[in-house]
Amino acid sequence: MRLFLLAIGGTGSRVLKSLLMLSAAGVRPVDEDGRPVPNLEIVPVIIDPHKSNEDLKRTEALLTNYRSIRNRLYGNEVNVDGFFANRIVTLREIMSDSSIQLNDTFIFNLSAVEREKFRDFIGYDTMNEANQALTSLLFADYQLENRMNIGFVGSPNIGSVALNEIKDSNEFKALANVFNAGDRIFFISSIFGGTGAAGFPIMVKNLRQASNLDINNRDVLRRAPIGGITVLPYFNIEHNDDHRIDKADFIVKTQSALYYYKETLTGANDSELNAIFYVGDQEVSKPYVYDPGEFGQRNRAHLIEMVAALAPLKFAGIADSRLTDQNGFPMPTMAFEFGLEKDVRDVDFLAFGPSTRRLIYEPLVRFHLLFLFLRTGLRGMIGQGFTEDAPKLKSDFLTSQFYRTLTDQFMRGYVDWLSEMYDNNRSVQLFNMGENDMSNAIHHVHTRKTLLGRKTVDNNTFKAEMNKLSRDAKYSTHTVEYKLLDLFNRAATTIISDRYENIN
Amino acid sequence: MKKQHLVYLIIGIVATVLFYIFRVEAYESIYSVAGYSDQLYNLGLYDIIPLITIAVAWVMAGIYYYAINSVRFDRWYHWLVMLALVVVLAPVVGYLVNSRIFDENGLTYVAESLTFELVNIMWAAVLFVVASFSMRWWSTNCHHTPIPQ
Repeated sequence: MRLFLLAIGGTGSRVLKSLLMLSAAGVRPVDEDGRPVPNLEIVPVIIDPHKSNEDLKRTEALLTNYRSIRNRLYGNEVNVDGFFANRIVTLREIMSDSSIQLNDTFIFNLSAVEREKFRDFIGYDTMNEANQALTSLLFADYQLENRMNIGFVGSPNIGSVALNEIKDSNEFKALANVFNAGDRIFFISSIFGGTGAAGFPIMVKNLRQASNLDINNRDVLRRAPIGGITVLPYFNIEHNDDHRIDKADFIVKTQSALYYYKETLTGANDSELNAIFYVGDQEVSKPYVYDPGEFGQRNRAHLIEMVAALAPLKFAGIADSRLTDQNGFPMPTMAFEFGLEKDVRDVDFLAFGPSTRRLIYEPLVRFHLLFLFLRTGLRGMIGQGFTEDAPKLKSDFLTSQFYRTLTDQFMRGYVDWLSEMYDNNRSVQLFNMGENDMSNAIHHVHTRKTLLGRKTVDNNTFKAEMNKLSRDAKYSTHTVEYKLLDLFNRAATTIISDRYENIN
Repeated sequence: MKKQHLVYLIIGIVATVLFYIFRVEAYESIYSVAGYSDQLYNLGLYDIIPLITIAVAWVMAGIYYYAINSVRFDRWYHWLVMLALVVVLAPVVGYLVNSRIFDENGLTYVAESLTFELVNIMWAAVLFVVASFSMRWWSTNCHHTPIPQ
């Protein structure tokens, strides 16, 4: 199954970043029986005219890093366990039709939109006087003057016009061509801004009306299982006299959009969506710098984004029979919400409900321990134990492209992600920030007690376990990268179970 | 790989057995003194001392690879410490046995005994190396010590 993940606007990029972190940790979508969804490929497409958006750039860089790390680990293998398990590909990578020109990136090319001011885009100057008057009623002057390369700046009425052009784009045609029966589409967008709030319903409409378009797979696309997460207001912005984006509008915009969605997407008579997920938080975040787009828009990662990133995984695991009827048409929209088990401002693993904990706890702990191990342990182990078993891990591994991408780039993104979530409100403290001692790394989760005190976990614990596994397993036909990460993953699974208190 | 390791073990055992079979030649090719060497032979010390040396070398290797068997002691210099213990322990025990049996028979060969144990140091070291390379392969944490393979 391919899951086409359309991440719209700044929130889309940030949620995608959280999904990348979860995927790197090895969080995989599971079906209703708890088994990993087989043959899953995730095809993320970022839809955002605001190319200089720092959140978009950070996510794009991490996507590229993720893809290169995963390719090195598993090649084209789809069904794998462990770190970087979810296969993530670009549209171009899976496209067989060479007649469609497409860049090998995760970003939807919106060049037709992003070059222009909105007034030029709609041909305001060529309208007759009556149409200009009508347009002026619908759009404020600042909206008409808006340069769309900074996004739609909290104005869904602009976005809904501009993004309607997407259906004519090469990316849309490529998506339509590679989409097969059994594949699914999932949207990530916020409801209280401009780009996401506008793009989501328009894209759904274009997909459901695909039979009117000149594309292959029209019928399959028209019946595609489509889900989406609509992120409700969750962050706060600093006060500014420029009111293009105003937090006071968030709730009003949300209410209007929800009514609109109910009428067009999720209502009983118009179920265009198979599943809708809502997530938001009334707890006020730390205020973000007011930046409609001109200065790059770099917002701190937030708990809500991590929670939102679980939605596409949940959607991928829903049985077909619950999404579509016997003829393949959408069943009435299923709606999901998310709640913490404990309504606390400092969120650790124990604040999540059991099903979320089961999904994310062990993978994230394994990944965090890997981060600590690579930072503090591996270098000193080269030439000993498992590193000497075939294929040998030599000191030049530490200067390899793979290792540098993993540690200098991806892990740096991981630390930023953790720190930003910690430094936000709600504050997410899954791990004790800055703590290198593995025994004390997990916030509020201790190692098991023994008669002589608590068990310890350190690099040598991992080395011993990896030595044991390496002696018994044969990696000689695998790459050294695979050997290292697979050994660590298996060692961590044993160590977490044997040495840490069980919170699941 | 396991087959190869089994071959190493068999070679080590065979080499050790051969050493024991040709123990007199092995020692006397390096150090032989009329009188002292004859007494060693006559009193059965050529049977006992090589046996002690073999036992110390193999037991110490076994302790290192399977009892200690720790990631904290898996470096070449940890193995070297064990070797040092072997080359101290084997000649000391050998000398004590040698002295006791000579004393019981009213013989005094202190200087010769000490020189003989210097030769025993060499054989103890060789046997420890043989034992190490025979049995290390199944150790979880030290099978790459002292030289990675």
